[in-house]
Amino acid sequence: MTDISVIDDVLPAATDGFAVQVRDLRKSYGSTEVLRGVDFDVRPGEVFCLLGPNGAGKTTTLEILEGFRSPTSGTVGVLGLDPATQAAKLRERTGMVLQECGFPRQARVAELIDTWRSYYPNPRPLGELLDVVELTEVRKTQVRKLSGGQRRRLDFALALAGDPDLVFLDEPTTGFDPEARRRCWAAIENLRRLGTTILLTTHYLDEAEQLADRIAILRGGRIELAGTTREVAARAGLATRISFTTPSALRRGQIGLPEGIDLAVRGPLSVCHTGNTALTLRQLLDWARENRLGDLDGLVVTAPSLEDTYLQLTGTDLEIM
Amino acid sequence: MTRSVRLAARQALLEQRSFWRSAEYALFTFVFPLMILLLIGAANAGSYLPGTHVKNTTVFVPGILAFGVIVAAYVNLGSKVAVLRHDGVLKRIKTTPLPSAVYLGGLLASTVATAILITACTGLIGWLAFGADPRAGGLPTLTGGLILGIVCFATLGLAISSVITSAESAGPVAYASFLPIAIISGVFDPTFSGLPQWLSRMVAAFPVKALAQLMQGAYTARPFPAWDLANLALWTAAGAGFVAWRFRWHN
Repeated sequence: MTDISVIDDVLPAATDGFAVQVRDLRKSYGSTEVLRGVDFDVRPGEVFCLLGPNGAGKTTTLEILEGFRSPTSGTVGVLGLDPATQAAKLRERTGMVLQECGFPRQARVAELIDTWRSYYPNPRPLGELLDVVELTEVRKTQVRKLSGGQRRRLDFALALAGDPDLVFLDEPTTGFDPEARRRCWAAIENLRRLGTTILLTTHYLDEAEQLADRIAILRGGRIELAGTTREVAARAGLATRISFTTPSALRRGQIGLPEGIDLAVRGPLSVCHTGNTALTLRQLLDWARENRLGDLDGLVVTAPSLEDTYLQLTGTDLEIM
Repeated sequence: MTRSVRLAARQALLEQRSFWRSAEYALFTFVFPLMILLLIGAANAGSYLPGTHVKNTTVFVPGILAFGVIVAAYVNLGSKVAVLRHDGVLKRIKTTPLPSAVYLGGLLASTVATAILITACTGLIGWLAFGADPRAGGLPTLTGGLILGIVCFATLGLAISSVITSAESAGPVAYASFLPIAIISGVFDPTFSGLPQWLSRMVAAFPVKALAQLMQGAYTARPFPAWDLANLALWTAAGAGFVAWRFRWHN
């Protein structure tokens, strides 16, 4: 199936081995600047998430990568191809799940997937596709009778029909109930296991945290932060939270607060925030030993969450679930 | 090239299957014209066109042939494409490597199949029930009329699809834009006359009567239909121009 020329084709030098490379991408509609210099890379085999509030420019970015829109300026490489001029070639190696894309109403599930397979030079086997998206049981059902979640998973199956190297998912679970979301996430997890590179947009934090290897927060047409969930939180300058059950001696005022730590005693719970987790923990435990408090009951160390980062960056007034 | 043909054929097959699974399409495309054929045909059986020895049904049956072609090519294809666009199916096709021309070719091939089938059914029932059959040497005219009718009205179907904005209104808009013209063109009544002059001029300008007269030429001897051919050619050109200008793959 793969010969040397195909492999050459997959990773040309132009993208330095990245599945997607975006440099100083700008897009204006008239005088409105939607993208103001976007930069990010997607590595082969990873799930990369573009996270941002509605209107941040996520869909515009995706549509440029898919070759549906041309950028005002900047460079974009997708699988080593230029989407603006090589869209036809790109279509053979990418799969897309767009927002609000329907199906022929009377087609049956397996029949439709099979038709889609015929569009591609090296399609994935039908049975495998049905398995990945858990639609084997409804393979003979007409599309119009499927539930919303099943339709979205059929979206995935069609996007995967050509055994793509890269899949674009534009807000894949918007408007779904929790059960449908969970099964949708399971399908994306299955895709990841197949080694498919996935570029996903969402405005759901938990979705990004659950699925993505790396995240870029897009806001106001710019990437505010990019990296792994941890890195993004750390780079936002957020502190790790340390909490423990307030020792009774401290509550009764029999011992003093530890020095050099900004400890807040909130009744039964004592909380502090730190940029240096190891140092603060050592100081806390030293203080506990000196005061014969043992190992500090209920000690919890919480890494800054993506949600904290996101809320700090975007402000709480934005549309966020 | 052969791969394109194979892919288009496959698309046509999917369309045909979908068509027959959908009661409303199958009903409106087949049952409606055939019902009109039988009901109005029965009312006209045994009577002659005023002042001639030509049976009413000899003119009426080919009129319904034209009606069936228009329903299959114009109403059916037009509303189908409008629904596909509204549902985002056309947009989805754009995400695949399937060339747009191959996809549209598949839709047209399915339309051709439907039109041929409805023509065969109408012709057969017209012959069996009312004894109306093409004149000697009329088959080439019939075939020519069928081809020109499909080309012209499929083009107009694609054109009207670009005007229809919702899936719900697709069928009604397609029918409503053609049924009144079919009635005043005399498709359902061979003896239909007495229109004011301005209206009969307008009717003559539309392609419905032109196609009906082409088809009638296959059943009774008529002078060479130069005007009817020119009429269909002009409408096809106008329709194609409109499609090139307004056709969109998504709303």
